[in-house]
Amino acid sequence: MTNDILVLGGGIAGIQSSLDLAEMGFRVHLVESLASIGGKMAQLDKTFPTNDCAI
Amino acid sequence: MLDVGRHPNITLLAYSELEKIEGEAGNFTAIIRRKARFVEEDKCTGCGACTEICPTSVLDLYNEGHAERKAIYSWFAQGIPSTHVIDPDHCRVLTGKKCGICQKKCEADAINFDQKESILELLVGAVIVATGYDVFDPAKLPEYRYTQLDNVITAMEFERFLSASGPTEGHIYRPSDRKVTAQIAVFEKKVKKSQKALDRFEKNHGQDSVEFYSAYKAGSLNANDDLEKDQDKWAKKYEAHLENATPLEALKEKAKGFTSAKNLAFIQCVGSRDLRFYPFCYGYCCMHSIKEAIIAHEHDNDTHSVIFGMDIRAVGKGFEVYKVRGGNNSNISYKRSRVAEITKNTDESPVLIYEDTLEQKVKRETFDLVVLATACEPVKSTQKIADTLSIDVDAYGFFKTQPADPLDTSREGIFVCGCAHSPMDIPESVAQASSAAARAVQAIMKKNNKKAS
Amino acid sequence: MNMNDLILYEEPRIGVFVCDCGSNIAGHLDCADVAEYAKTLPNVVYVKENLYTCSEAGIVEIKKAIKGQNLNRVVVASCSPRTHQPLFSSSCAEAGLNPYLFEMVNIRDQCSWVHMGKRDDATQKAKELIRMGVAKSAGLEPQEEIESSLVRKVLVMGGGIAGLSAAQALADMGLDIMLVEKTSNFGGLLQQVHQLDTGGSARALLSKIIDDVQSRSNITCYTKAIVKETGGYIGNFEIKIDTQNGLIKDKVGCIVVATGAVPLIPKGLFGYDGETVISLMELEQKLKKDDLTARRIVFIQCAGARTKEREYCSRICCMIGVKNAMIVKEKYPLIDVRILYRDMQMYGTHKEQMLWDARGKGIQFDVYNPDNPPEVKEGKVSFFQSITGKIIDLDTDLVVLSTPLVPRSDAPAVANMMRVPTDQNGFFLEAHAKLRPLDFAADGIFVCGSGRYPATSTEARTQGLGVASRVAAILFKDKLVKSAIVAKINPESCVGCKACLTMCPYEAITYNRDKRICEINEILCKGCGNCAATCPSHSAQLCGYKPEQLLAQIGAA
Ligand SMILES: Cc1cc2nc3c(=O)[nH]c(=O)nc-3n(C[C@H](O)[C@H](O)[C@H](O)COP(=O)(O)OP(=O)(O)OC[C@H]3O[C@@H](n4cnc5c(N)ncnc54)[C@H](O)[C@@H]3O)c2cc1C
Ligand SMILES: Cc1cc2nc3c(=O)[nH]c(=O)nc-3n(C[C@H](O)[C@H](O)[C@H](O)COP(=O)(O)OP(=O)(O)OC[C@H]3O[C@@H](n4cnc5c(N)ncnc54)[C@H](O)[C@@H]3O)c2cc1C
Ligand code: SF4
Ligand code: SF4
Ligand code: SF4
Ligand code: SF4
Ligand code: SF4
Repeated sequence: MTNDILVLGGGIAGIQSSLDLAEMGFRVHLVESLASIGGKMAQLDKTFPTNDCAI
Repeated sequence: MLDVGRHPNITLLAYSELEKIEGEAGNFTAIIRRKARFVEEDKCTGCGACTEICPTSVLDLYNEGHAERKAIYSWFAQGIPSTHVIDPDHCRVLTGKKCGICQKKCEADAINFDQKESILELLVGAVIVATGYDVFDPAKLPEYRYTQLDNVITAMEFERFLSASGPTEGHIYRPSDRKVTAQIAVFEKKVKKSQKALDRFEKNHGQDSVEFYSAYKAGSLNANDDLEKDQDKWAKKYEAHLENATPLEALKEKAKGFTSAKNLAFIQCVGSRDLRFYPFCYGYCCMHSIKEAIIAHEHDNDTHSVIFGMDIRAVGKGFEVYKVRGGNNSNISYKRSRVAEITKNTDESPVLIYEDTLEQKVKRETFDLVVLATACEPVKSTQKIADTLSIDVDAYGFFKTQPADPLDTSREGIFVCGCAHSPMDIPESVAQASSAAARAVQAIMKKNNKKAS
Repeated sequence: MNMNDLILYEEPRIGVFVCDCGSNIAGHLDCADVAEYAKTLPNVVYVKENLYTCSEAGIVEIKKAIKGQNLNRVVVASCSPRTHQPLFSSSCAEAGLNPYLFEMVNIRDQCSWVHMGKRDDATQKAKELIRMGVAKSAGLEPQEEIESSLVRKVLVMGGGIAGLSAAQALADMGLDIMLVEKTSNFGGLLQQVHQLDTGGSARALLSKIIDDVQSRSNITCYTKAIVKETGGYIGNFEIKIDTQNGLIKDKVGCIVVATGAVPLIPKGLFGYDGETVISLMELEQKLKKDDLTARRIVFIQCAGARTKEREYCSRICCMIGVKNAMIVKEKYPLIDVRILYRDMQMYGTHKEQMLWDARGKGIQFDVYNPDNPPEVKEGKVSFFQSITGKIIDLDTDLVVLSTPLVPRSDAPAVANMMRVPTDQNGFFLEAHAKLRPLDFAADGIFVCGSGRYPATSTEARTQGLGVASRVAAILFKDKLVKSAIVAKINPESCVGCKACLTMCPYEAITYNRDKRICEINEILCKGCGNCAATCPSHSAQLCGYKPEQLLAQIGAA
C-alpha cells in the first residue's frame, strides 16, 4: 500500500494535477519526457481568453 | 510552473520516461528510466555560461525550427528544472570528437560526460496520464504545399513568431524574407573575407580593384613590374570576390522592399473535420487563430486577417465576445469557406484558392502569410503508453473513458486528463486536471479504508 | 516577551549577500566593488559575495552566517523576489531567524539587465539599491504567521449533477458534507432530459449517482432547503440553512456553489407559443412522453443567444439540437428534419462525430444570417439561403427553438449573500478564466457546473469532481497558515471614515458600530496595501511596509 501518485506528462494538465495533489498532502512523482516541464503552453506567446502571458 | 519545481511534495523527474508498470490500484510498481542529461542535476545552477560558449549549433525545436540552440541547452529560457542538458546526437565530445569547452567553463562543475541513464523504481497508489497532444503535420495535405511554400506556416510556428522571446522577437517577418536576410548575412561574411584579400593588393598598388579589373580586362593595364607579377592573382581574387559580391548586391536590392507581413490568412480545420485524417474537431483552434490575429494586430496596427473556416467555434466562457470584439477592433474578417489549394505568386506571396461556401463560388486571394490551424493529434507514443499501462485507446486515438466516469481509464487506479483525454483548451485542461487529482485521491483513500476495515 | 520581540530592542546586525549569478550579474557589474561598498553601510556586520547565492552552497553560507555572526537581519542582492524570495526567507527560518527579517534587492533585472553594457552605471545603481534595502531591513519587525483552525466540513449548494459529483468525491475523501437542494428532488435540470447524447437515459445516470450520495454516512442531504446566510471566512464559515425541519446553524470550512442554470423560455421569439413553436426542453418532454405528431420539423439554433442582450454562446444547445434531431430521425425516419444554424458548435471528438452521423441520416443543415434571421409564420419558416441567393419557404408543422442556458433568477441573490461576483451575463465569475476556473477569488468558495457557464452533464460532473480537489487542498491541511503580510488598523487613531472599507478588494474590512472604527480580518486580508494607501489618518498600515520602514528606504536613496 502506498499513497504516492505518479503523474505522466508535465504540460498544464499534469502540472495542475500535481499541484492539487501536493497541496492535498500527497507525494507526487511528475515524469516528463522533455528536459523541462510546461508542455505546449510553454511555447505559446499569450493565451486566450485572458491574453496574458502563458508561463 | 515554478511552484512545481519548489513544492516539497513534488519530485520532478524531467527527461524521464515510464518504462513499465506492475501491480494494481493502491499498489503499483513503476519503473522510470531517467535519460542521461550529462549534467548533474544537483550541481547545475542553470546559469547558462556553458550554452553561451558551446560552439555547436542545432535547430531549436522549441522555436519550431526557426532559430538555433546549442548542443548544451535548456528547453527554453525559464524552463524548469533549469538544469541544462547535453544533446548526445550533436555534442562534439559525445559524438567522439574533441571539445569539452563547456566543462571548463562550468564553475559549478556540473558537466559529466560519463553520466549514464538510470533506472528508478517507484511505489505508487494511482497514476494520472497527462501526456497531451502532438501537432498534426500539414505536409500530409499536399494541396496546401506546406513544405514547398516558405510563407505557409503552422499556428505553433506563428506563436513563436509573435513571442518577444521568439526567433523574430515578435515581428512578423515572412520566412521567405528571413531566408534572404540569412543569405545576405552569409554573403556579407564571405564578401568581408574576400574584400580583405583585395585590400592587400589595393594598398600595395594604390589602386582600387574595380579600376584595376576593368583595365586588366580591357588589356589597357599600365603595369609596372610589381603589378605585372600580381595582376593575374589579383584578377582571380577579384573574380572570386564578385562571385559573392554580385549576388549580395542583388539580394540587398531585393530586401529593400521587405516589410513585415500585413495581410494574414488563417486556415481552419487543417487535418481536422476531414475524413482523410481526423474526423473530429479540436475545439480550440478557431480560438487560437482569433487570438493570433488579435496579437498580430497589437504588434502592428496595419494587419488585416481573414479567418477561413466552416464554422467559427467559440464555445467557452467569454469566447463569443472575444471573437466579436476581435473582429471589430483587430481588423479580422471571418469567411465561411473551404480552402482547396495554396499556390504562390512571384514575390513568394501565397495565393489561396477557396470555395466561398456561402456563395458557392471559387475565389482566389493573395496574402503575405498563411497560418495553418493544424490539428491536435494523439501523441505518437500513444500506443506505447497504452501498452505499458494496459489501458484502452478510443476510436479517435485518445485514452478511453466513459461519459459517466469521465476521468477513469479502462484500468482501475489510472486516470487521464488534458489533451491526452481528448482535445481541449487550457481552462478545460485545468478543470479536468483537478478532477483527475480528485479521482486519484478517491481511489487511494478507498483502498486505504478497505484495508483498515 | 518572546524571542522575536527581543529582536526589536537589539542593535540590527545585518548580513548582506551579493550574488554573481554566474555571469548574469557579475558579467554586467562589479560585484566585488558592490560588496566592498556594502561593508561601509550602517549596521552591516557581514558581507559575502557568492557565485550563486541560491545554490546549495550559497544557502549553507547564509545559514552559517546567521548563526556564526549572530545576524538578526539578512539582505540578499540578486535576482527577482518573485522567484527567489520564498527560498531565501524559508532558509532564514531554518536557521532560526524570523523570515520576515529578510529583505531582497533585485540587482539583476533592475541593474544588470537594464544597464547592459554600461558597467559603471549598473554598479552604481546596485550600490544605491543595496543601500536602500539595508536601510529598510534595519527597520523590519519580526512577524508571526497567522494560523487559524479549519472546520473539516463542506457546504455544497445545489443538487444537480455537478453538486452531486462534488459531494461524492468529497465523501470519498473522508470529509463531512452538507448537500443543500432548493427543490424536493436531486438531479437538477437533467431530470427533465430524455436521452443523453452519449447514449442511455439521463434518469439512469442520475439514479446511480443519487443512490450513492444518499447511501453515504458522511453526506447529510437537505431537500427543499435554502441557505439563508453565510458569514465568516475560509476554514470557518458560519452558515444558516432554512430546512423542512427548521433553521439549522452550522460551521463549514469551504463552500461549493453548484446551483446550475435554466434554459431560456423564448417568449416573443420566432412566434413561440409552446404548441407549434416550442423550446428544446419542451421537445425533450414530448419525446419522453412519445407524443410527437409533426411530420416536418425545423430547428432554429441560437434562439435568444449570441445577440446584443445575451452576448454569449451557450455551448451545449447545438449538441442538444443535433441529439434530438437524430432521436427523431431514428424513430421516425420519414420526418423531415432541418436545422437552421449560425455556427454548429460541435467541438471535440464525440460531438463532431454526431454531426457526421446526423448528415448521414439525412438531416439537413442550412446557415442563416443573424442580420436577416428566419421568420416563422403560419406553418412556414422562411429564411434567406445564401447558396441560392433566394428566400426559401419551408412548410413545417413544428418549430423547435434551441435556446441558451441562462442564469437562474435567484443567482444574483446567491452571489450577494456569498459576496462573490457574477460576469456580464449573470454567471458566477471565477478567480481566473484560464488558470483557476473552479475557484472564486474569495478564499474557500468554489464553483462548478452550469452556474459557472453552460456545460454538458459530463463537463458538469468533471467540474464537480475537480472542486473536490480544490477543497481538499485546503481542508486536508492541519491548519490554515497565512502570510503575516497583512494590514492592521490602529484602533486609537482610526476615525471610522470607512475610506479603507470601500477600497479593500477582498472585503476584509468591516465597520464596528460600537467602537465606531474599521477593523481588518487578517484571514481575509491579502496584504494588497490599498487601505494603507487610502487611510487619511494613517491608521491602516501594512506589516513589513509601515511608513517608517518605507521612509527609511526612500531616505537612503
Ligand atoms: C498553436 C496553438 C495555440 C494555442 N493557444 C491556446 C490558447 O491561447 N489558450 C488555450 O486555452 N489553449 C490554447 N491551445 C491549446 C493548449 O495548447 C492545450 O489546451 C494545452 O496545452 C493542453 O495541455 P496538456 O497538459 O493536456 O498537454 P501538453 O501541453 O501537450 O503537455 C503534455 C506533456 O506531456 C509530455 N509527455 C508526452 N508524452 C509523454 C510520456 N510518454 N512520458 C512523459 N511525458 C510525456 C510532453 O512532453 C508535454 O510536456 C493552443 C494550442 C495550439 C496548438
Ligand atoms: C433541453 C436540454 C437537454 C440536455 N441534454 C443533455 C444531454 O443530452 N447530455 C448532456 O450531457 N447534457 C444535457 N443537458 C445539459 C445538462 O442538463 C446540464 O449539463 C446539467 O444539468 C448541469 O448540471 P448542474 O449540476 O451544473 O446544474 P443543474 O442541473 O441546473 O442543477 C442545479 C441544482 O441546484 C439547485 N439550486 C439552484 N439554486 C439553488 C440554491 N440557491 N440553493 C440550493 N439549491 C439550488 C437546483 O434546484 C438544481 O437542482 C441538456 C440541457 C437541456 C436544457
Ligand atoms: S552546466 Fe554549469 S555552466 Fe551550464 S548552466 Fe549548469 S551550472 Fe551553468
Ligand atoms: S562538449 Fe559538447 S556541449 Fe560542451 S561545448 Fe563542446 S559541443 Fe558544446
Ligand atoms: S476548433 Fe475550429 S479550426 Fe479547430 S477543428 Fe474545430 S472547427 Fe476546425
Ligand atoms: S451552442 Fe449553438 S445554438 Fe447554442 S448559442 Fe452556441 S451556436 Fe447558438
Ligand atoms: S491590505 Fe488590501 S486586502 Fe488587506 S485590508 Fe487592506 S485593502 Fe483589504
